[in-house]
Amino acid sequence: MNNLKYNIKTGIAVVAVLMMINSSCTKLKDTSYNQIISSEFTPTVADLPSLTGAPYVDWRGLLLQWNTLYRAQEVSGDEMLTPARPNGWVDGGVYRRIHEHKWTTDDDIVINVWTRAYQGITNCNRIIYQVQTGGIPVAAKDTTSLIAEMRLLRASYYWVLCDMYGNVPIVDKFDVPEGYLPQQNTRKEVYDFIVKELTTNIPLVSADNNQATYGKFNKWAGLTLLAKMYLNAGVYSGTPAWDKCISTCDEIINATGTTKIALESNQKNVFITENQNSKEIIFALPFDSKYVSDWNSFDVHMQTLDPGNQATYNLEYSPWGGVCAVPQFISTFDTTDARYVDNYIKYQQYAANGDKLYCTMGSFSGKPLSFRNYVGGVDYSDEVDGFRLGKFEIAMGASNRLSNDWPLFRYADVLMMKAECLLRTGKADQAAEIVSEVRARDFKSNPDKATVTGAQLLGGSSYDYGLRNHLQSTEEGGSDIQYGRMLDELGWEFCQEARRRTDMVRFGVFTKKSWLSHSPNGDYRALYPIPQSEIAKNSNLKQNPGY
Amino acid sequence: MAEETIGIEEVVAIGYGTMKKADVTSSVATVKSDNFVKGSVTDAGQLLSGKVAGLSIISPNGDPTGSTQILLRGNTSLMGANQNPLVLIDGIPGDMKTVPTQDIESIDVLKDGSAAAIYGTRGTNGVIFITTKPATAVSRNTLEYSTYFSTQTIARKLDLSTAADFRAQMKAGYRTTEMFDNGASTDWLKEITRTPLTQSHNLTFRGGDKNTNYLVSVNYNNDEGIFKKSYNQVFSGRADFNHSMFNDKLKFNINVFSSSTKYNNHGAGNGDGGFNSNIYRQVTMQNPTSPVKNADGTWFQELTKFDYQNPVSDLNESDGQSNESNSRYKGSVIFNPITGLKFTGVFSYGKRMRENGYSETKQNATTLRDNRNGYASIGGEESINRLAELTAEYKKSIGNHNFMILGGYSYEENDYNNYYMQNWDFPTDKFGCNDIQLGQAISSGKYDNMISSYRSSTNLIGFFGRFTYNYNEKYLLMASLRREEASQLWGTKNPWGTFPAVSVGWRITKEEFMKNQKLFNDIKLRAGYGVTGSQPSSSFLGVGIIDYGYGYVYSNGKWIKTLVPSQNANPDLKWEEKRETDLGVDFSILNSRISGSVDYYNRQIHNLLFDYAVPSPPNLYNMTMANVGVMENKGLEIMLNFVPVKTNDIEWNTSVGYSTNKNKLVSLSNDIYKLSTGYLRVGAIFPPIQTFSHLLKVGGPVGDFYGFKVIGIGDDPTDVANYGQWIYEGADGKPVKYSDFGHAFEDKKVIGNGLPKFYMSWTNNVRYKNWDFSITQRGAFKFQVANLQRMMLENPTESQYNVLRTAYNKVFGKTQLKSPVEFNSYYIEKGDYWKIDNITLGYNFKTSRIKFIQSMRIYASSLNTFMITGYKGIDPEVSLRNPTSYAQAGVVQTPTAGLDPGMDSPYKYPTTRTFTIGLDVTF
Repeated sequence: MNNLKYNIKTGIAVVAVLMMINSSCTKLKDTSYNQIISSEFTPTVADLPSLTGAPYVDWRGLLLQWNTLYRAQEVSGDEMLTPARPNGWVDGGVYRRIHEHKWTTDDDIVINVWTRAYQGITNCNRIIYQVQTGGIPVAAKDTTSLIAEMRLLRASYYWVLCDMYGNVPIVDKFDVPEGYLPQQNTRKEVYDFIVKELTTNIPLVSADNNQATYGKFNKWAGLTLLAKMYLNAGVYSGTPAWDKCISTCDEIINATGTTKIALESNQKNVFITENQNSKEIIFALPFDSKYVSDWNSFDVHMQTLDPGNQATYNLEYSPWGGVCAVPQFISTFDTTDARYVDNYIKYQQYAANGDKLYCTMGSFSGKPLSFRNYVGGVDYSDEVDGFRLGKFEIAMGASNRLSNDWPLFRYADVLMMKAECLLRTGKADQAAEIVSEVRARDFKSNPDKATVTGAQLLGGSSYDYGLRNHLQSTEEGGSDIQYGRMLDELGWEFCQEARRRTDMVRFGVFTKKSWLSHSPNGDYRALYPIPQSEIAKNSNLKQNPGY
Repeated sequence: MAEETIGIEEVVAIGYGTMKKADVTSSVATVKSDNFVKGSVTDAGQLLSGKVAGLSIISPNGDPTGSTQILLRGNTSLMGANQNPLVLIDGIPGDMKTVPTQDIESIDVLKDGSAAAIYGTRGTNGVIFITTKPATAVSRNTLEYSTYFSTQTIARKLDLSTAADFRAQMKAGYRTTEMFDNGASTDWLKEITRTPLTQSHNLTFRGGDKNTNYLVSVNYNNDEGIFKKSYNQVFSGRADFNHSMFNDKLKFNINVFSSSTKYNNHGAGNGDGGFNSNIYRQVTMQNPTSPVKNADGTWFQELTKFDYQNPVSDLNESDGQSNESNSRYKGSVIFNPITGLKFTGVFSYGKRMRENGYSETKQNATTLRDNRNGYASIGGEESINRLAELTAEYKKSIGNHNFMILGGYSYEENDYNNYYMQNWDFPTDKFGCNDIQLGQAISSGKYDNMISSYRSSTNLIGFFGRFTYNYNEKYLLMASLRREEASQLWGTKNPWGTFPAVSVGWRITKEEFMKNQKLFNDIKLRAGYGVTGSQPSSSFLGVGIIDYGYGYVYSNGKWIKTLVPSQNANPDLKWEEKRETDLGVDFSILNSRISGSVDYYNRQIHNLLFDYAVPSPPNLYNMTMANVGVMENKGLEIMLNFVPVKTNDIEWNTSVGYSTNKNKLVSLSNDIYKLSTGYLRVGAIFPPIQTFSHLLKVGGPVGDFYGFKVIGIGDDPTDVANYGQWIYEGADGKPVKYSDFGHAFEDKKVIGNGLPKFYMSWTNNVRYKNWDFSITQRGAFKFQVANLQRMMLENPTESQYNVLRTAYNKVFGKTQLKSPVEFNSYYIEKGDYWKIDNITLGYNFKTSRIKFIQSMRIYASSLNTFMITGYKGIDPEVSLRNPTSYAQAGVVQTPTAGLDPGMDSPYKYPTTRTFTIGLDVTF
């Protein structure tokens, strides 16, 4: 009897266990609370701007985040440097290596520019693919222009790669077979690809220049990029294309009647905090301290200002700056040039309430905080050393991020490109006319000084090249530089705009001259190396010559 | 020591059951409470320190909120979810920190894969069973009270320049800029330290009879850290009830645990518990001639200096507290319908909740320098674990054939959520973080990301079976199989994993031919093979995911969030698999005066989960989580126990443990994922060194430091560019002057390895009449430590901060250093150490004449007592995982994976020496 009772219980227990196994789940949890599983997502038209916006996001990081294109273009050149400071800025010698052209194959600038530019390219490829395959519900009438816009944007990322590394793989498809490894292309192939992409797609995008196209690739942004390609065609492809550059610039210039693109009356207007309405801007990367909150998204002011300058602008955070101008470059300026007056922070510094500011670090502690046009060297500098970068307006009360939009392409650039090409094709006087037109706004009280002659443009540079630091001083000068005055003009107009290296390479100066603590370190340094980490992933990649 | 306390007739936990030690065919170590490390330990892990061969327990710092790090038989995963051994508290998954050490009865450690495979995925790093003191049938009701008090000192300090040294440095002309004599003499370390007092009280009450019995305990523990305002206070209570009915056919157990913990946090993020490590780092950097306060009572600050703020102000002008509560409810029912058959159901519900609050006053540097005008943050999290495990077991003996068969089902789910918000610009400091709406920062509308919340949910489902057989306890066999699926693999092609294991044993002493020998009491040969696994730690890696995390874009006059794929989906993702072979022998000779075990293991981890670097394009991103590669761990573990003296008055037990580990990354490529260069760059060093620290080479071991190799220093004063600068070894092995040195990847070399090649331990327990004395010693050998404190603080170019007294010494006897801070071999030091860790002296009172007292014992102990090492830093026993590092582009950073061992960070809360006195009484 007892046995029977237990057997019944056994039976109940077994059944209970089996029921639990059946009912209580062999089902895996499949709910995500903060991400959307793609296969469960049906995009609607309302999602369109969110879905297609991503490829523009990458340009901001590429240009301005820590150790990226801005430094690769500027700190490597003759107008800006990041010297060791009483408050640091040694950082394992990375900035010194950029100044001295001794960057390694895995320095930050080498890696970051590559990965961030390709991130943008991948996003463009993805959007193009998704639009083509219906993954993103774009109205049929808008498909062509959206794809064309993405291809222009993609070309702009390839432009950076072509300029920085030259020999990079062209990947223009998103749906590639599994295990596909991109093949490396020559710099000329990359150049040809970009030019072809631009010329075929420019006619397909919007020719409007209004709020809807602001920060987007429209026809005029595309043409400016095309002009830039032609301007550097000699460097990129071995064959100059000066005339093509002129005709491309003319296309923009001749349309200004309808596009309302024009020079600002003051250059400064292009760089103010609320510069989104500037008529000079052709293509901008919009910034806003609230919405663009990535680390170091646009903190040029934090990187250049002295901690004491917090009081000058009532900044939210204390700056920790050290980046400054190369004194030799500053010395090339006419001191009445508005661009010298407005774009550099110099001499005695004051708090917003008018109080004088004083140094707090190093051997100048207690002395007036007065920036001087002298820097000891890339390896050593005092708190007061070097003029600071002030081209972009620093808003009163700014946080650690600026809200100024970044004018990647602007009308003055179009004019100056045309001028340079005219100069190089024997039309120096026509070139001088354009350069003088651009300069006019910078010498309002001295209109005579605005005028440049063709003969001047044909002359050398006023840059006093040579080592000039606390250890060494040599004399090289700049008079031997062909069209050196034109290079000077580009420096004055476009300083601090992340392009100096490209101009110096085109004028053959980048790897030839010395400045401050920099001596030439081989012509191969005109191109950056392919990052070691990329070669590690893709065996098709061969390192650039010299590295 | 491990085995010493446990005879072959005793039972050990083997997972879903127990087994006689004699029948066990795999490597299992048991440590009983008498043999634990005594004194004020960080957590349950430290109890085992030096007690089990092959189990390294690292106490990486002295923070009272910290916990130990456990490494069993080397690194077994690069990025899998399971980096730590599975800790089961009375069968329920938990962690070392959530069980009061006084409550623990014994700890069993399943070391090899054949034993752990029954736990499938979770057991891949071994299983640690913590058995709390159970309710048992007692002859009379008892009350146990135990208490201890302890204090700490810093074991070793950095040799920082004092004010006098600093002035001498100025006089000698070493310091001409950057830092000046501010007139005071301050010992900054002293300013933030104190003599802490830790106290612990535990009351345990047992009662009941054979059928119904119970245990109730309460525990209070108040740990003060050596640094001011660092503490960890725990109240906990536990109740264990047993009831059996129908002639023991049906048994119930209810176990309830609840604890409430309070500790300091530093609020930089949600739940950054513990002491703000930057305060200690700032202490090392401060000018020793600066006063702590100005004459007017305000804090002395030089806030324009980069990364430099008064640490005493930081400590006093901020306040953070976390309140945590843990509860665990477990019910189990065992039903024995007929002899040999047993059904078991275990159900548990565990919940951990935490509230964090943090605030900074208007006198904090964040206001004085960054205009925060008062800052506060609050946040919280909740984690819920549900477990149901059903097993059926049948045992039968037919003649000399003994069988046991077990089948079971296990379901575990975890639910996690948190929230966090921060605000600043407060009208007053008065309310700290308790009135967070008073701040104006959120309402100003100027900031994004001020509020966040998160939730995730995972589960794990397994079916398992085990068969054991022995013939006359002579030939032993165990085989098991577990099938398991994990929600982290949802959406992949095959979320199921299969984990088989088989092990055999042969007790030679049971053979006829051994009958007549007297030397051996027992010899058992064991061999086992088992497969365990690890799922990835994140969910949804197998499917395409899009999210709003990519940033805003400006579109037609408005800022909108972009919606972007967030990963490279990998539908082929599957379990990482560890295949382990274990060969061992257990023996005991000369009347058990000498016993021990020797184990050899070989772990092959296949399908390593890793964020593989892939080219982008064509991939969306540079990293894809995939199963590629093989890692190998081989080693030997020896544990020998001796009883040299055993009389009525004196008994002396001594044990020696020895273990080795050889680790190799066998491959990191397959058909799809190819590593053309054959290495991974891992680990990252904090600024100013923005580079990776370790290189993981295919064919090489985990833990290789990779940096520049110093072979001299430039000592020609006329060569300005190289005077006082490092001379490095070039790629060709020849010296390269500093000015010619490229500092490139190719210029780096393997300059050491951070993982010890072998560990040793030696434990002695002596009892003389009523006195007992024990001493635990342990050491690690053949490895290097990167002394990053010296790298930062022994460099004269870092003259904007304080430096070590040795900073101005001539390098290699030649000249002072002029190179900037660089990660090179000069700072890689031999890490070998031997620690006399735990010393305990106890006295057991004769209580036979005292009516109410059954037993009474007092003891005094010390922890981390003494160390022999050539290492120049504070303590070469450093964290397995580099806690403070910032990723550099292109560097694989996996801070939890232990791929960058051996980094002695200047952010580390120093390790301490602890002295304890304690009392245990049973009424």
